[in-house]
Amino acid sequence: MAATIVGVFQPEMQNLIKDSKILLVGAGGIGCEVLKNLVLTGFSDLEVIDLDTIEVSNLNRQFLFNKQSVGKAKSHVARESVLKFNPNVNIKSYLGNIMDQNYDASFFSRFKLVINALDNKKARAHVNRMCLSVDIPLIESGTMGYSGQVEFIKKGVSLCYECLPKPEPKSYPMCTIRNTPKEPIHCIIWAKFLFNQLFGESSLDDVSMEVNEKDDLPKISAREWSIKNNYDPTKMFKKIFIDDIQYLLNMKDLFKNKRTEPILMSESILKEDYADYSHESDLKILDLFQYISMFKDSIVKIKNKLDLTNGKNLVWDKDDDDFMNFIVSCTNLRSNIFGIPLKSHFDIKSMAGNIIPAIATANAIIAGQIVIHALRALSKNYERCQSVFLRAKPNHKGAILVKDKKLESPNPNCFVCSVHGELILRLDTTRITVRQLDELILKKKLNMVLPDVMADNRILISSNEDDELDLYSFSLNKIQVVHGSRLKVDDYFQNYSVIIMIHHKEKATDEQPDFEIFNNMEDLRKRDEQLIAEENAKIVQETYDCVIEEFEKDDYRVDKVKPTYGSIRNEQTDTDMMETIDSEHEVSDAKESLTDSGDQEVSNEEILALKRKSGNEEETSEPKKSRFDE
Amino acid sequence: MSDVKPRMNGDGGMSVEEKKVYDRQIRLWGHDGQNKLRTMKVLLIGMQGLGAEIAKNLILAGINSITLKDHTDVSILDRCSQFLIPHDSQERNRAKASIIAAQLLNPNVKVSADTTPIEDNDESFITSFDVVIATECSPLIYRKLSDECRKSKVKLFIADVYGLFGYFYQDLNFKLNLYDTVFPFDDQNNIVPIIKNKPPTYVLASALLKFQLDFHRKPNPDTSEKDIEELKAIIDSISPDEECIKPDYFNEYYCELFCELSPSTSIVGAVVAQNAINSIMGNLVEGYNMFFYDHYEHEGKFHAI
Repeated sequence: MAATIVGVFQPEMQNLIKDSKILLVGAGGIGCEVLKNLVLTGFSDLEVIDLDTIEVSNLNRQFLFNKQSVGKAKSHVARESVLKFNPNVNIKSYLGNIMDQNYDASFFSRFKLVINALDNKKARAHVNRMCLSVDIPLIESGTMGYSGQVEFIKKGVSLCYECLPKPEPKSYPMCTIRNTPKEPIHCIIWAKFLFNQLFGESSLDDVSMEVNEKDDLPKISAREWSIKNNYDPTKMFKKIFIDDIQYLLNMKDLFKNKRTEPILMSESILKEDYADYSHESDLKILDLFQYISMFKDSIVKIKNKLDLTNGKNLVWDKDDDDFMNFIVSCTNLRSNIFGIPLKSHFDIKSMAGNIIPAIATANAIIAGQIVIHALRALSKNYERCQSVFLRAKPNHKGAILVKDKKLESPNPNCFVCSVHGELILRLDTTRITVRQLDELILKKKLNMVLPDVMADNRILISSNEDDELDLYSFSLNKIQVVHGSRLKVDDYFQNYSVIIMIHHKEKATDEQPDFEIFNNMEDLRKRDEQLIAEENAKIVQETYDCVIEEFEKDDYRVDKVKPTYGSIRNEQTDTDMMETIDSEHEVSDAKESLTDSGDQEVSNEEILALKRKSGNEEETSEPKKSRFDE
Repeated sequence: MSDVKPRMNGDGGMSVEEKKVYDRQIRLWGHDGQNKLRTMKVLLIGMQGLGAEIAKNLILAGINSITLKDHTDVSILDRCSQFLIPHDSQERNRAKASIIAAQLLNPNVKVSADTTPIEDNDESFITSFDVVIATECSPLIYRKLSDECRKSKVKLFIADVYGLFGYFYQDLNFKLNLYDTVFPFDDQNNIVPIIKNKPPTYVLASALLKFQLDFHRKPNPDTSEKDIEELKAIIDSISPDEECIKPDYFNEYYCELFCELSPSTSIVGAVVAQNAINSIMGNLVEGYNMFFYDHYEHEGKFHAI
């Protein structure tokens, strides 16, 4: 409460601190530290919102919580803890999602300053737009392990959160996951799909095969089969790790490349004794029999949990030990079949849960800098609000907290904060439906909440359900959205609008992205040049590979083979299952956006939710291009 | 203490419960790192805002034990940054008033309060700790601690925050300059810093330390205007020639040098704690003995002085 003590701050600053109402979005790792710093500095009119409840793994850094508060709402407990050292502040706490329609423009406009302490891009982009729309300054932040960053965002003054492209999560082709895994991560993603197929909200991304019990009956899904067999662990094991593999082996073209061919386990393995694993370290790789026991145990325990939901579904959670044991055993059993190195429980949890390491000190440093930025921003000293980066190790000058030279000006072509926001959307207008445009492109990719779309004064998509517009199942060309069409897209909730120019391009092969978004024609041309270069490089590489295969059969030396062109095209048409899935593996790059806190599962949930709505549509996420298949 | 009986599982004796709490940091510094932390014994002198931050970060990280040492009473100025003292605490001593909240941060760490002034302890006292961290002491005590810790090979941090400005001295590999070589004293126990070719942050820190020696206190919000004039005079007196940094250089800094302000205790406290952690784990960047946080330039930088 420094601002209540005369002489600590200059009178103007003292008044600014006392009078400024601040919104803190997020009460996690950074949020707890920021709330403490704001209150101690003397800010006394605060609101804090968070949608999460407290978990044990938060306690190493979210110091306003303790063991007794696990399971409670972060925002409320954070408020109560802070009031213990200063009861003379007015803090309002909300348990809720900042993207909810309760928190509209009039909600945001009550604040002098907004501070983001979030852990996902979607919410960050949303708050960015809300703050731009009501012209409230925003401080954006993130940490990852030892590193972190603070950025200041103000309309017309600085870069906005979406002015520069962000790195995208890595993606994996669905056919690799289903049929030809080559790395541990492929088996981990497969295991998570399997969990959802058996216990969770099932999508069409089934990984375990349908069962044909009798020739005259229709096939039933693996889920139905499991229920019919009352989740019998031995039967489940046989189905998933023997019968399904046999099914793959029967698909002749699948394993031309010997390296990925699975090895079928003998059914005699079903009669092996129980192998205890309960006292093993989570750093150790166990033996096959222990994983089989772990698999069977986890099936029984998860089945019991499923029964308790009374017909509902389970939602996967990395912090549930039974769920994790299921993933670990399934991953390693499958890896073993495909000749992939096994991983420890500890490592699989990191990958399956997308866990970003998080420590108290990095959050505290970033939170301190956030409040210093808040002081500069409130006194309108914007040139002192440059981005600041926390480095894991000192640079050559010994600095660990490093600032940008100056506050970066807005990107004049930003599709969010510039007046002439325009985007080029390249897609195959005969294949993309209005629903895909709405849900995958506008909402998921472009982070809109309630988009309305007009073309030539016709409404194509309306956020108002009363309009009863139902063009969702039509492809774009069927409703005269073709090459050169200009779509006017508005999100009244975000007070955001953008013109989208349609650039038609036939999707010739399944490998091509379903859509790509560009800021201008120049970027589109650059992308094409890059694609041609990549394609050429790939032809050389793949020709090497396939020629090598042939020569190895005849025991020839590999290094003498010269590349020849041709013959690869056939390689790609092995199955009709070329889909790409988004495994949410964020690329880490110190200068790019960091996330708070090591609890990065939000985006996974977003994907699941989307899949529920829109069927089997997936999206790749390589920079600026995306793909989904039906 | 933990209500679940710890289950050992061959990872250096860490219980399943502990591993769950520390999961997100074990994924950063590994089980080995965490096990080293679990042996780390810390003496923390000074429980104002900066002390509270350092204590919080080390206790959360899961060190073995921390002794919170402070013989002074809670003051109104603690309200600027001391979050471990409940507003209705009846306890007058800072260390004792902090201990309940400090222990609540992590039941696995042994937290104790010590109200004896460090000058009353004999030299061997510090040898029972791996790391000594001192804040809010007089520069004379810092000098004595620096000598004693170097002799006994105990890792040492000396840290202070003045308003939004902060610095710390560290002696971790026992090779770089001692505290009184960094901030030299004359026969009258007065700091006479060598200012030439030094970063401005060093000049400011030296002036603030000299102010403390001259007035037996830090600059105070009650007397802010007078204290700023004194500081300017000190900077002028320790900057002998034209090449040196002059008082005007710090015009933007003067009004933010009072109390320990929370944003900077948060930053400096975290860098101290992280460096202490790194030093125990053996992954420290060597070759620096000073760190300054410059709140005007938003810069946190290590130096070898």
